[in-house]
Amino acid sequence: MITVKDLHKSYGKLEVLKGISCEIDASQVVCVIGPSGSGKSTFLRCLNLLESITSGTVVINGHDLGDRKLNTSAVRQDVGMVFQQFNLFPHMKVLENIMIAPVKVAKKPKAVTREKALELLDKVGLASKADVYPSALSGGQQQRVAIARALAMDPTVMLFDEPTSALDPETVGDVLQVMKRLAEEGMTMVVVSHEMGFAREVADRVIFMDGGVIVEDGNPAEIFDNPKEARTQAFLSRVS
Amino acid sequence: MTWYLGDLIPYMPLLLQGLWISIYISVLSFVFGSVLGLFAYLAKASRWRVLRGISGAYIEVVRNVPLLVVLYLIYFGLTQFGVNLDPLWSTLIALTINNGAYVAEILRAGFEAVPKGLREAAHALGMNSAQTFRYAILVPGIRNVFPAMTNQFILLFLFSSVASVIALPELTNQLLRVNSETLRTFEVFTVGALLYYVVSSVLAIGSRLGEKRLFRW
Repeated sequence: MITVKDLHKSYGKLEVLKGISCEIDASQVVCVIGPSGSGKSTFLRCLNLLESITSGTVVINGHDLGDRKLNTSAVRQDVGMVFQQFNLFPHMKVLENIMIAPVKVAKKPKAVTREKALELLDKVGLASKADVYPSALSGGQQQRVAIARALAMDPTVMLFDEPTSALDPETVGDVLQVMKRLAEEGMTMVVVSHEMGFAREVADRVIFMDGGVIVEDGNPAEIFDNPKEARTQAFLSRVS
Repeated sequence: MTWYLGDLIPYMPLLLQGLWISIYISVLSFVFGSVLGLFAYLAKASRWRVLRGISGAYIEVVRNVPLLVVLYLIYFGLTQFGVNLDPLWSTLIALTINNGAYVAEILRAGFEAVPKGLREAAHALGMNSAQTFRYAILVPGIRNVFPAMTNQFILLFLFSSVASVIALPELTNQLLRVNSETLRTFEVFTVGALLYYVVSSVLAIGSRLGEKRLFRW
């Protein structure tokens, strides 16, 4: 589903990603953990071209991101993204937030989209909030709307960039619950997160990044209970 | 001499006529100036250095030269080159030039303040640049600039009084005329101040109400 080979990313002279390689299969849930500044968010943002790729290859669901004739919009429609700060459109009601991209970008008929949007809202537990503005929602509710908005484009991969880091502790659970259900339904997910509990419980695989490289890559039990690398051990002892 | 408004009553139609001209030139130069300001803002935000330079210079000059001097340059100065503009056109041009620079700065500040996350979210959903601007940036940007734009209109309306010095018969010019005919100086300018004040406050209140109605989010 996702193939990354020797991915490098630099901002001027500062090299943030120093050769990332990995394969992510369909329906896999991968959690990317690591200290801040390790490049994990940059790695995620390269996967839907929010950051340009300096060198290396990334192929997602058949789209080669290095291709000059690449249809960027088509890739992004295929790859949903959820942000730390939710980034809902503040001037649109919840339902409009979910419908805008399917209607305006994918050119789907309004009536069908509307029905689907309401279904998605129900799925994230916010059926009653279709007609309110995002400002009337808690952070956790906004994030669940943001997940529904991304899902409305029928993506084959979902990227989560620290989806719970900006939330009040009591609203984190609902968001993780929605993500867990999504994982169970077989969505391919790449999650940058500090939620070690979620990574351990839901992820098929955990990638530990530090200093712009993948230090360790394995199943959660291996990484959390029996980390091989000293840097992984040091990081885990600090966060848990 | 005591306070006496009676002498002014016959002149009220004249003052209201002046007020009408003041509003009229303010509205016109606000519209023209906003268009100019939009282009100046776009030029300043553009990729081309020459455009950025021209726009930046324009904004700098306007913000550092008195409006009255610009008006003199246009009305008196240009005659030296055979360009004879009437007071109305001179005023419209001077106010438009002035307003355009401030509008450019208001637009810049307002649109730069739109969270960049909205742009990223739109891109991530597959929107192209035009769609991103149209659906994610435009309305939050308008909300950001709305209060400053109405405030700028009020300032422009008050600044339009400078046109009195080139004999455009707007409110202040009419006040000067009524003053010289009645010699009721304090009364004349109090009435004038009141007229300016009422129009400005109505605009300010209207703007606040409009903001509440337009932006319910």
